[in-house]
Amino acid sequence: MNAPPPPTPVRRGRRWRTGPSWLALQVVLSGSLLLLFLLPIVALFTYAPVSRIVAAAENVQVREAIWVTLYASGIAVLASALLAIPLGYLLARRRFFGRSVIESLVGLPVVVPHLMVGLGLFFLVLPGSPLYTFTNAIGFPVYDTIWGVVLVMAVVSAPYTVLASQLSFEAVDERVLESARSLGAGPGTTFLTVTMPIALRGIVAGLLLTWARAVSEIGGILILAYAIYPGGPYNGPVTSTISVYIYNLFQQGDLADAAAVSSFFLLIAFALFLAVRIGERSGWLPWRRGDLTP
Amino acid sequence: MSEWLVDAIETDLDHFHLGPVDLALRPGQAVAVLGSSGAGKTTFLRTLAGFLPVRRGRLLRDGEDISSWMPEERSLGYVPQGLGLFPQRTVFGNVRYPMELRGRLDANARTEALLARFGLTELKHRHPARLSGGEQQRVAIARALAAEPELIVWDEPWQALDVEARRELGIVLTELRETDGIPVVVVTHDPALAFSLADSFIVLDHGRMRFSGGANDLLDRPSDAFVARFVGYENIYDRATLEAGQDHPFTAWLLGSAGPEGVAFGSPEAVPTIGVPSTWEGVVRSARPSPEGLRVELAVDDLMVAVRLPRTWPARLPTVGDRLRFNAEATAVHRLGSGKRTAR
Repeated sequence: MNAPPPPTPVRRGRRWRTGPSWLALQVVLSGSLLLLFLLPIVALFTYAPVSRIVAAAENVQVREAIWVTLYASGIAVLASALLAIPLGYLLARRRFFGRSVIESLVGLPVVVPHLMVGLGLFFLVLPGSPLYTFTNAIGFPVYDTIWGVVLVMAVVSAPYTVLASQLSFEAVDERVLESARSLGAGPGTTFLTVTMPIALRGIVAGLLLTWARAVSEIGGILILAYAIYPGGPYNGPVTSTISVYIYNLFQQGDLADAAAVSSFFLLIAFALFLAVRIGERSGWLPWRRGDLTP
Repeated sequence: MSEWLVDAIETDLDHFHLGPVDLALRPGQAVAVLGSSGAGKTTFLRTLAGFLPVRRGRLLRDGEDISSWMPEERSLGYVPQGLGLFPQRTVFGNVRYPMELRGRLDANARTEALLARFGLTELKHRHPARLSGGEQQRVAIARALAAEPELIVWDEPWQALDVEARRELGIVLTELRETDGIPVVVVTHDPALAFSLADSFIVLDHGRMRFSGGANDLLDRPSDAFVARFVGYENIYDRATLEAGQDHPFTAWLLGSAGPEGVAFGSPEAVPTIGVPSTWEGVVRSARPSPEGLRVELAVDDLMVAVRLPRTWPARLPTVGDRLRFNAEATAVHRLGSGKRTAR
């Protein structure tokens, strides 16, 4: 009788076997980029003493600007979810004449300078134009209001949701969907119970990018809603988005305050992103549950 | 269980035309759809399942024309290539899915029962990506059964399975027919696997049905050269070749049995002694081992003939240039092109 072979150790995860020079190259290149991200932040915090940051946090104008920015970007993300996900689905699942033209059109707001987008929107809602009359009539005036901010943010940031959802829907195996149909699910049920759960992770990533892009927008807002007058959900004194607010401080030569407000907003943005990431990792947020990769 | 009738179905997919294809299915029957890649096998299954429109012909279930029904209305369990398991659901969630759709109150209990039947209870919390090929197959079949199908159509069930998993799958599929009485249509490009399960066969080639009938018909009366080659006949000669060489005795002898499209016969055994009736002789051109013995290519007249040497061959093994005798029975030579194409 032969002795049984020793049990093979179970390997958890795969590792590359690489030499030290390869590793060093990776560390140097990645480290350089991370430094590029980190150093401006360090510079900001160096320039803004803690007392100034605390003062910025307590400043009503700063708070209003942040509130307007977060509120408008939130609405822009909701609008993207409502309008951009269906477009992504259409582009992923249907073949039709003019599809490439539509895909290029979707990419356009991302690639052109956002001042141009703002300018286009400006001429569209110029006082006296049909759209100006219409938006005022239905109670959503856009020129120099929070709705203008929402409009600019949605136009420049929704493409990220379109692209992400298109890619996510395309990645869903058609045969999985056919299985669902064959098991008795109609097209709508298949979409809700199979397509969306599989694509959700990618779509949410797109929505996060959309939100990030909306929050950071300034070019289009400078033209369409440089000053935000009360109206709609905002009823305070005249304000602006946080990006425009900081730009104004910088223009006025108030560098220490510009740095302080920037640092305060950086802390908020960082905390929000960190919370989302931790939520994903720990499984509190539903879209990353289950292990989809072999 | 229902009776199914595929009545001269035709469909188009881009520039590919399929059909007409005929097929009758009784409860518990298993049909294998055979063909090389691109023959239209998957197109045929997807048409049955309702994912491609029936352009001409009818699909009948118990006499009712369901050709225009939606896939979800057909009570037909379609298992696509790659199985189509839901990656975000566990094994339990996959098998439970069809019962959730139907709002069954006993969904959990029935899921447990199906998992137990297919030996999946231990794996029920795993996701498909963490299962072996054989385990995934069992999930697919359990999930298909959960929808209580009247017919199961399965695209390449044996794909990417090792020998042991194939054997297990054979048992599962046989049980499906015999215990559950569900008719099964499987698609494969491997005739050997098809013979292990099916009792009737369709051979497709470039969208056309080249054969339809039982195992004996398929093996003993291949309808044409394509089907003969497909089921494993090694010696196939068309009529023109035989007529061109009919001055030679062996060629003339074959021509005597030929149909409009020629003849086919399996590799005969080489024989060590002369003087046996109907013995022919040829020159060895190549020899290589196979599970059935040494496979030798002989030049006989102007033809190349494949013969086998049994493992018990008494003399030294032949080398290129040797002369070798073989025995070809007239009964083993099949005429091509004259047999009936379809048997309903």
